[in-house]
Amino acid sequence: MNAVPRRIRRVLAGISLPVYLLLYAPLSVIAIFSFAPSLGHPGPNLAAYGMLLNDPEVLAALRRSLTLAIGSAVLGTMLGTLMGFGLSRFRPAKGGGFWVGTLPSLIIYLPIIMPSLVFGISELIFFNFVHEYTGLLSAGLLTMGIAHVTFQAPYVALVVYARLAGLDPNLFEASQDLYANAVKSFVFLTIPVVRPALIGGFLLAITLSIDDFTISFFTAGPGSVTLPIYIYSAIARKGSSPEINALGSLMIATVIGVALLYYFVTRHRERSTRIPAVA
Amino acid sequence: MMPGAVMMPAGPEKVTAARGAISLSHITRIFAGSIPAVDHIDLEIQAGEFFTLLGPSGCGKTTLLRMIAGFETPDEGRIVISGREMQDVPAHQRAVNTVFQSYALFPHLNVEQNIGFGLRMRGVRKPERKKRVDAMMELLQIGPFAARNAGQLSGGQRQRVALARALVNEPEVVLLDEPLSALDAKLRAELQIELLRMQKRLGMTFIFVTHDQHEALVMSDRIGVMSNGRLQQVGPVLDVYEKPRNVFVAEFLGLSNIWAIEPLGGGMAAAPIGVLKIAAVIGVARMAMIRPEKIWIYNDTHAPQGRENVFPGTVREAIYMGASTQYRIELGGGGFILALDTNNQAAERSWRPGEAVAVELKPENIMLVEA
Repeated sequence: MNAVPRRIRRVLAGISLPVYLLLYAPLSVIAIFSFAPSLGHPGPNLAAYGMLLNDPEVLAALRRSLTLAIGSAVLGTMLGTLMGFGLSRFRPAKGGGFWVGTLPSLIIYLPIIMPSLVFGISELIFFNFVHEYTGLLSAGLLTMGIAHVTFQAPYVALVVYARLAGLDPNLFEASQDLYANAVKSFVFLTIPVVRPALIGGFLLAITLSIDDFTISFFTAGPGSVTLPIYIYSAIARKGSSPEINALGSLMIATVIGVALLYYFVTRHRERSTRIPAVA
Repeated sequence: MMPGAVMMPAGPEKVTAARGAISLSHITRIFAGSIPAVDHIDLEIQAGEFFTLLGPSGCGKTTLLRMIAGFETPDEGRIVISGREMQDVPAHQRAVNTVFQSYALFPHLNVEQNIGFGLRMRGVRKPERKKRVDAMMELLQIGPFAARNAGQLSGGQRQRVALARALVNEPEVVLLDEPLSALDAKLRAELQIELLRMQKRLGMTFIFVTHDQHEALVMSDRIGVMSNGRLQQVGPVLDVYEKPRNVFVAEFLGLSNIWAIEPLGGGMAAAPIGVLKIAAVIGVARMAMIRPEKIWIYNDTHAPQGRENVFPGTVREAIYMGASTQYRIELGGGGFILALDTNNQAAERSWRPGEAVAVELKPENIMLVEA
C-alpha cells in the first residue's frame, strides 16, 4: 500500500467510510431501538428482551430454527464435502473434461446464483406435487430441511473445494509413498488438512439456514414457523416493535458470535498449515 | 494395455536379485491422446547405485520415476525391485520412498511428525519411532527445528526434512524428483555434496531426476540421458560426457562443436571447417564432435608446424567466466568453432576479439556421434 499516493488514500478512505456507515447503520439502529422506552418502561431498558424470552411463540420458533439449522447443516456439510471432493478430483485442470469436470461444477453452483424466490417457488411446487401423488413430504420442517440442504451443500462444496484445490497434489501421493493405504491416507492426511474447511462450511451452513426467509417461507407448513417467518408475520401484523428489534439484535449477535468462533477455531490452524511456495 | 505383457511371471533368476536393485523392461506409458511419455525403456540399476535420469522437461523422466514409485501404472512392460515384480504392488506397499520436487511436507504436522509419518503408518511403536526420527534429525542436522511447522522452514530446511522423511524408513530405493531445483546456487551445491555423502553412507539405491547437467555430473555413478520418452544413452558419467552416443547427448551434456562429415578414406573426413584427421574408425559415422575444452589455441605466430588439424582463425567473441574463458573463433576456411581455455596464466594467455590465432583439434579428441 506504500505505493499509493497520500491523496488517493484519502479519497479511498472518504469512499469507504460512507460504505461502512451504510452497511452498519441499520444494524445499529435495530440494536439501539431494542432498548427503547415503551409503555410502563421509561428510559432505555431491557424490557423487550424480557418479553421476548417469556414469549412461548418466540421460543418455539427459536427451537424450530435451531433444529432446522443444525439438522440441515450436518447433512448439508456431509453432502457438500462429498461434492467438494468430487469437484476437486475431476476439476478441468486435472484432466476432467466438460462432462465430468465443468458441467457438474456448473450444476452444483447453480443454486448459489439462482434467485431464492425462483428456488423457493420451485421447491414449493415440487413438494406439493410429490405430496399429492405419494402423501409424503407434507409441508413442514422436513421439507424446509430438504430445501435448506440443497442451498447449503453448494456453499460447503465451494469452501471444501477451495481448500483442496489449494493443496499440493503431491501430498496425497506422499502419504501413499509413506505406506498409508487409502483409508489411512484419508484419516491421517485428508481429514486433518480439510478440517478448517469442514468447520467453516458447517458454520456457514448454520448461518445460511438461520437467516433464510424466502425459501423457508415457501416450503414451511402451518406448524413450522421459524424465527425469520415469525418476524415477518409479526411485522406484517403490528409493524416494528422493541420486541422484534430485540430479536433482530440477538440474531445479529449470534451471527457475529459464529463468525468470531470460526475465526478463532481456524486462525491458528490456517496460519500453521499454509506453506508458502518455495521462492 | 497389453494383458499378455503384464502377466509375465517373475523369472526365478530375479528372486536372487540384490536388495535395492531395479530392473525395468519395455516400460511404456502413453497418456490419452498423446505420444508415449515413456517409450519402451529397458534399464538395470544396481543396488546401492546413485543413478541420475537427465533430460529436458517433458522428456518422460518424472513419469518413469512415478511408475517406479507406483503413482502411475505402466501401459506395458514390467518393473522389478529387489527381485520382486511390482505389477500388482500399490505405492504404499513398495519399499521405495520419494523426495518430491515440491517436498510435499504435510502442512498439519510438525517436522518431527512429518519425518515419523511413514514409520507411524507401518505401525512402528512410538519409542522406537522416536529413536529413529531423532537419529535421522541428528544426521541431517534438523534437530533444532523438530517442533516447527513446515511453513516456518526455509527452502533448504524443508529439503532436508523431505529427505529425512524418506530416509528414516530405510527404503530399498530412494527416488528424488528434482529435489534441489528450488534452491539457490550455493545451497544447491552444498546439498548436492550432502546428498551424495548420505547416499554413500547409507548404501541405498538413489534414483535422481534432474534437468541440470552439472548436478548430474557432480553426483552420479551412472547417468541415463532421456529425450522424447527414450533413453538416449546410459553409462558412467565419464563415458557419457567423453563419448556421447549421439548429437542430442553431446549437446545436452556440456558444450560441443558438431559437424556433418564426409569420409575421404585413410582416417580423413571432410567437414565444413576443412579436412579433419580423425583417430577413431569412421565407418558409417556421418557426424563428428569435439568438446570446446579439448581445443588448443595458439597465437598465429606460434602455431605448430606439420601437425594435423591446425586451422588459422580470428577470435570473434571472448566470454570471461572466471576460471575459464570461452572463445568463439571464426576459422579461415569458413565456419565458427567454440573453444574453452582455462585462465591459469592470467592475462598474457588470453585473447581478445579480433586477434589472429590458430586452433588445433587433436585427432584422438574428435568423437564420432550418431545424428
